[in-house]
Amino acid sequence: MSVETKFKPRFDPTDPIFRWVSFGAATTLLVVLASLIGTLIVGGWPALSEYGFGFFLKFKECPVGNNSWFCIDTPWNPVTDVYSATAPILGTIITSALALLFALPIAIGIAVFLTQFCPRQIAQPLSTAVELLAGIPSIVYGMWGLFVFAPWFAKTIQTPLIIAASQDPTSWFAKMVAGIPNGANLFTASLVLAIMILPYMAAVFRELFRSIPPQVREAAFGVGATPFEVTTSVIIPYVQKGMIGVVMLGLGRALGETMAVTFIIGNSHKFPKSLFDSSSTLASTIANEFAEAADLHRSALIALGLVLFLITFTVLAIARWLLSSQRY
Amino acid sequence: MTDTTSADFQSVIVPPPEGSLVLECKKLSFYYGQNQALFNVDLPVKKHAITALIGPSGCGKSTLLRTINRIYDLYPGQRAEGVIDFEGENIIGPKVDVAALRARIGMVFQKPTPFPMSIYDNVAFGVRLHSNKSKAELDEIVERSIRRAALWDEVKDKLHKSGLGLSGGQQQRLCVARGIAVNPEILLLDEPASALDPISTAKLEDTLEELKSDYTIVIVTHNLQQAARLSDYTGFMFLGKMIEFGPTEELFVKPKVDKTGEYIGGRFG
Repeated sequence: MSVETKFKPRFDPTDPIFRWVSFGAATTLLVVLASLIGTLIVGGWPALSEYGFGFFLKFKECPVGNNSWFCIDTPWNPVTDVYSATAPILGTIITSALALLFALPIAIGIAVFLTQFCPRQIAQPLSTAVELLAGIPSIVYGMWGLFVFAPWFAKTIQTPLIIAASQDPTSWFAKMVAGIPNGANLFTASLVLAIMILPYMAAVFRELFRSIPPQVREAAFGVGATPFEVTTSVIIPYVQKGMIGVVMLGLGRALGETMAVTFIIGNSHKFPKSLFDSSSTLASTIANEFAEAADLHRSALIALGLVLFLITFTVLAIARWLLSSQRY
Repeated sequence: MTDTTSADFQSVIVPPPEGSLVLECKKLSFYYGQNQALFNVDLPVKKHAITALIGPSGCGKSTLLRTINRIYDLYPGQRAEGVIDFEGENIIGPKVDVAALRARIGMVFQKPTPFPMSIYDNVAFGVRLHSNKSKAELDEIVERSIRRAALWDEVKDKLHKSGLGLSGGQQQRLCVARGIAVNPEILLLDEPASALDPISTAKLEDTLEELKSDYTIVIVTHNLQQAARLSDYTGFMFLGKMIEFGPTEELFVKPKVDKTGEYIGGRFG
C-alpha cells in the first residue's frame, strides 16, 4: 500500500555529488592518518622485532657501589647496529616538561596583564608583538639559540655555577650542574623551547581571558575583591578547561619541535645525568641521522617516529579526558 | 511643558524626609571618554527603602548605578564628577579604597553572574575576602543569605554542586545571596529580572521586598509595573538627566513634569 504525500522532495542533481565530495574530503584525512600509522609500524617493525622490549628499556650490569638508576643502558651505535630509544624518549619528555614549566607562569602573566591591567593604547601593540613572535620559524629560534643564547649562557651562567659547585663536588647541586660548559645541553634546549611556545600560549590564553563576559569580572570586583583575588579565584577558574587544552597543545608543540632543539641540545645518546648534560630528543635524532641511515638504523629511526606519535597521541588523549572530567 | 534641553534645566525632586538618607548624589556628571552620559544628576537614596530608576534605554540609569559603587573604575577613560555623599564622605574621591567600598555597596547585574565554583563557595566568596570567619560562622552566614534570597529550599541538598548548574532565576537569586552575604548597606540591582521568566521574577521581587527591612535597595528597571509595585521612591531619567524624583505613588499617579507622564503613559520610550 503506498501512501500519497504532498511533501515530495525536489530533485537537485548536484545534491549527490555534493554529498560525495564532502564525504571524500572528510575521509581523506582518516586515510592519511591510517597510512601514516601503517608506514611507521611497517618501517619500524624490523628494529622493534630485533630488540623487543629492550628498544625501550635496557639494563646493563652495574659496577659495584654505583647508583642503580644509572644502570639503564642507552646504546645508540650505528657501527655495531644496537639501538635503544630510552635516551631520546627521556630527552624529549624532560625538555618538554621543563619548557612547559618555564613558559606556563610567564604566559599566564602576559595574558593577565594584557587583559586585566594594561591600558588599551599599549595592549594592542603588545598583543601584536606577541602574535608576531609566535610566527617566527623555529629554525630562526634554533640559530639564535646556538649562536647567541648558548655561548652567553655558557659564559655567564653555566661556568660560574660549575665553579661554585667545585667547592663540594659530591653535593647534589654539583651533580645537577655537571657538564661541558658549551651551552648545548638539556637546560638551554628547554629554555629555547619555552621561548618558542611562550608567545603561542600567551596569545591563546589572552583569547581565553577575553572570552569571559565582562559582567562576571565586574561581579567579582562588585563584592569587593582585589585584582589578584579576581584573577585567581574567578577569571582563571572560569577558563580552566580551556587552559588545560592550551597547556596540552603547547606540550604537543614542544614534544614535536625539531630544528631548534636539534641545534642546541648537544645530540648525545646517553642517559642524562644532570641538568646541563647534553642529550637528544626523538625528533632531533631523526632529523640528524635520517639522511645517512640504512637498514636497521633507518628502521630504528622510524620506530622513534612511532614512539613520538604515541607520546603526542597520549598527551592529546589525556587532555581530552581532563576536559571531559572537569566539574566546573 | 518643562524644557529638558536648555542649560538652566532644573530637576523636580521631592526628597525623602530629612535625616532618612543613606546616600545622596549631588550634581553628578559622568563621562565615557569624551561623551558625557550624566548631567548634574541628583539622587537622594532613603535608608531601608527601595528606590527605582526608570527611563528609556540609554537614559543613563545603569550608568548612574555603576557610578555609585565605582565599578566604572575598571575602565580607563571613564570618570565621574560631582558628589556622591555616603556617610559624610564623597566616594568619588581618589583616596577611597574601592574594594572596601564595594563590600558595603553591593551590586547584582542584568545577567546572572555565578562564579565557576560551588553554590556554597559562591555565597562565601565575598565573606572570605573581607573577614576571617570560622567554618561554623561561615556555614551560618551562607545558609542565612541563601534563605533570605528565597533559594534555600531549592539548593539545600546541593550546596557543593556548581553554581553554573542552576536555572537562570536560581542563578540570579544566588547572585543576590552572594551580594547580601557580605552584609552591605546598599544593594544595587541593574535590571535583575530582565533575563528571568515571570515566576522567577515574582520570587525575586518577594525577595527584595523582604530584604528591604535590613538593606537599602536601588533598582534599575525597564518594567514600569515592577517599579510601581516594588519601590518606595522612583527617579525618572531621560537623556542623562534626572527629570523627576519623588515618592513612587505620587510620581506614577500625579507626575509633576509632562515628560514623566508621557513616559509612564507609554507615549514614548
